[in-house]
Amino acid sequence: MDKIRSNIMLCGGTGCIASGSLKARDALVEELKKHDLADEITVTLTGCNGFCAQGPIMIVYPEDIFYEKITSDNIPLLVEEHFVKGRPVEKFMYKEPEKKSAVPIMNEIPFFKHQVLRALRNKGLIDPEKIEEYIARDGYMAAAKALTEMTPGDIVEVMKDSGLRGRGGAGFPTGLKWEFCARSQGNLKYILCNGDEGDPGAFMDRSVMEADPHVVLEGMIIAAKAIGASRGYIYVRAEYPLAVERLQKAIDQANEYGLLGENILGTGFNLDIELYLGAGAFVCGEETALMRSIEGKRGMPIPRPPFPAQKGLWEKPTVLNNVETYANIPQIILNGADWFKSLGTEKSTGTKVFALTGAVNNIGLIEVPMGIPLRTIIFDIGGGIKKGRIFKAVQLGGPSGGCIPEDHLETPVTYEDIMNTGAIVGSGGMVVMDDSNCMVNVARFFLDFTTDESCGKCSPCRIGTKVMKDKLVDITEGRGKEEDIELLEDLAHDIISTSLCGLGQTAPNPVLTTIKYFRQEYEEHIRQGWCKAGVCTKLSTFYIDEEACKGCTLCARSCPQQAITGEKKKPHHINQELCIKCRTCYEKCKFGAVKVGPVNMFEKKDKEVKV
Amino acid sequence: MSGNVLVVDDEPVVLKSCDRILTPEGFTVKGASSVKEAMGLLQNGDFDIVITDLKMPEMGGIDLIRWIKEQNPATGIVVITGYPSQETIKDALHLGIIDYLPKPFSPALLIDVASKAVSFVKSKGVEEIKTEEHDVSEKANEIKNVIDTNRNRPGGLIPVLQQIQEILGYLPPAVLRLIARGLNIPVSEVHGVVSFYSFFTMKPKGKHNIRVCLGTACYVKRSSEILAKLKDLLGIEEQEITEDKKFSLETVRCLGACGLAPVVVVDHDIHGAVDPVKVSEMIREYD
Repeated sequence: MDKIRSNIMLCGGTGCIASGSLKARDALVEELKKHDLADEITVTLTGCNGFCAQGPIMIVYPEDIFYEKITSDNIPLLVEEHFVKGRPVEKFMYKEPEKKSAVPIMNEIPFFKHQVLRALRNKGLIDPEKIEEYIARDGYMAAAKALTEMTPGDIVEVMKDSGLRGRGGAGFPTGLKWEFCARSQGNLKYILCNGDEGDPGAFMDRSVMEADPHVVLEGMIIAAKAIGASRGYIYVRAEYPLAVERLQKAIDQANEYGLLGENILGTGFNLDIELYLGAGAFVCGEETALMRSIEGKRGMPIPRPPFPAQKGLWEKPTVLNNVETYANIPQIILNGADWFKSLGTEKSTGTKVFALTGAVNNIGLIEVPMGIPLRTIIFDIGGGIKKGRIFKAVQLGGPSGGCIPEDHLETPVTYEDIMNTGAIVGSGGMVVMDDSNCMVNVARFFLDFTTDESCGKCSPCRIGTKVMKDKLVDITEGRGKEEDIELLEDLAHDIISTSLCGLGQTAPNPVLTTIKYFRQEYEEHIRQGWCKAGVCTKLSTFYIDEEACKGCTLCARSCPQQAITGEKKKPHHINQELCIKCRTCYEKCKFGAVKVGPVNMFEKKDKEVKV
Repeated sequence: MSGNVLVVDDEPVVLKSCDRILTPEGFTVKGASSVKEAMGLLQNGDFDIVITDLKMPEMGGIDLIRWIKEQNPATGIVVITGYPSQETIKDALHLGIIDYLPKPFSPALLIDVASKAVSFVKSKGVEEIKTEEHDVSEKANEIKNVIDTNRNRPGGLIPVLQQIQEILGYLPPAVLRLIARGLNIPVSEVHGVVSFYSFFTMKPKGKHNIRVCLGTACYVKRSSEILAKLKDLLGIEEQEITEDKKFSLETVRCLGACGLAPVVVVDHDIHGAVDPVKVSEMIREYD
């Protein structure tokens, strides 16, 4: 066999594929052949690297050189320079915003430097479609240990001791859940995996399923042994075709290798795992609703107790864990509870994966120790806010969560501390917002979502969220009344206390937190008819600040209505009658000269002129 | 109720009584005593529904139904029969009739059936019936296969719906009835599941299906403007299809590709960091 001198890992996650990594891979293979390098340099398509916004991403080992935005057009130059002449190409390396120098080594890039990879330990390192590569990274060692050396009681004890809490959102201790189910009587039990990642702005589970599908299976095998389950389902969103494909391949391979099916590893333990495709209902992230959905029914939650640990899927004892929870389990079994607890805080142990998106410079998937302050995540890992903008809030927990403002950024990321701010850790969506986002509109966005996704079982959720949404629409469209804020708060508390499942109990959170931290914005909308972010078009007027305007003509050239006039190097002017408030000029202006005023600012001025 | 009705029966008394019962209700009724006569009338006139006997001398009702389905499939057909359980009625059902009238029928029943049939025909566009039946009959075997293989699978309904939607692109009412029968569950339950999950659609999709992500990350990056622009460009609303059937427009909650926000998916191609200004260029690629 020839000596391999380099391994090229090209990201094959959904994001990078969308930006062209498959074409880049083909070009790369072709180009290496051309230079007769195909024998000494391997090309692997990995799962999601995490730094999605910079995709397609390519990492060259053993040097750990990180290349970003690699398209098929760049390949000839890259191969020629890096692999033929041995000169890494600075042009394609990551550059910190506002600094010119390139950062060649992956782990020195700030985005990666602060991360600790546990659940994502294999991301970007293995070909997710090859079980051999997973096994080479100690894959299925934990399952073997659990099946051969540990009793169900041992496993439950380790899990309880580790303090691992469900990563799906609620944060219920995993070991405890398993203990309940292990104690339930029954010859048929089910182990389920929740891959119905429904929070908008969250893609942690998708990445795990795409990058490391076997870790999910291994976690499920260990859990099945602990509770005595012999059948399992992985419930995945149909909107994640790549995850579905890779999980199915993983299941087939594991069956072939005797790691699933009958008499696993000769221990007499049986476990069959099947994929079940969700059909797009947010409420199916709730465990009882998810089970109804697998039964082929409308996914509506049912009251607990009885808890699924006693009566779950088809009335049999069932445990449901989230994808990321499963991804943590094999390492806990291998390294022990103390190792896991060594990171995080007393009540929130280990690491947590977040999907960092929105107005930050570095967008992508990150894994950090629990207890890390929000500020570190947003400003160090995320690289801060895009140039010229100001941080306004970070949204955690999706439609069930809330918006946390600047002065709470020191809050450590733990289940309790985040809860105290009014948001929740949730499944890990973290959307950063800047001063161009209107918080009232954000609240309206989430209520839009929850009214749509409410399953309709409980009237407080079905009707209450609709009433709240209507009030928010009123406020954002200029029909808000002073008493609306109080009404919203009242309704929110009623909905929280009278809804059956997590959806209704948390749906008002986005409204409550925005009122709590951004009450002033609500008041500006209602009293002054002014959306300072210029998002609520019925409450804003765009105008050009003559002193700030440099007369660069960029706004006039990009205005779709030709509403902007002005000579070069002289202040421009927006004709309000033509303006459709599309924000193009506001976003394009490099000098911040386009300002947002209250909706009636010119009405007043006109009157003054007439006087 | 207004509507043009053609009654075809070899017994003059039936024609007469239909006329007597339906005309006062507002229908415009014509009668034909043979299939041949009916064809002549149909070629020259515009009828919403045809009420026809099955057993007639020379050409029978089934021949007439086949002929109508070829000539003008939008015409609604109601069958008069003395033996609703016989093979002939099965053939007629298979050809896509709306309803049948068991002989002898009361005036109230005739009015009821005729009114329902007319409003059914009027509520459905000509095209829709045509495509639906065309789509379904063309893929009938595949659909049957899916139902058969999942018949005994617990919780099999959702996978069946997913697979059939994959085949047809949508789930027309006729198929829901087929599935209900095949899996032995009430149609109401099938419909309940279809309407509950946003993944399922009962409307046909265009040649290219455009999905705009409205997840939080995309929202923050103004995907709503992209949606507005697309609606404007295509002249359709969400869940609608353009007249030339080239494009249909949908919104999705989150595609989990937040790093690329704002995201638009056309068929299976993911377009990331979409600029609202350049949406028309993106669409043109598919035109």
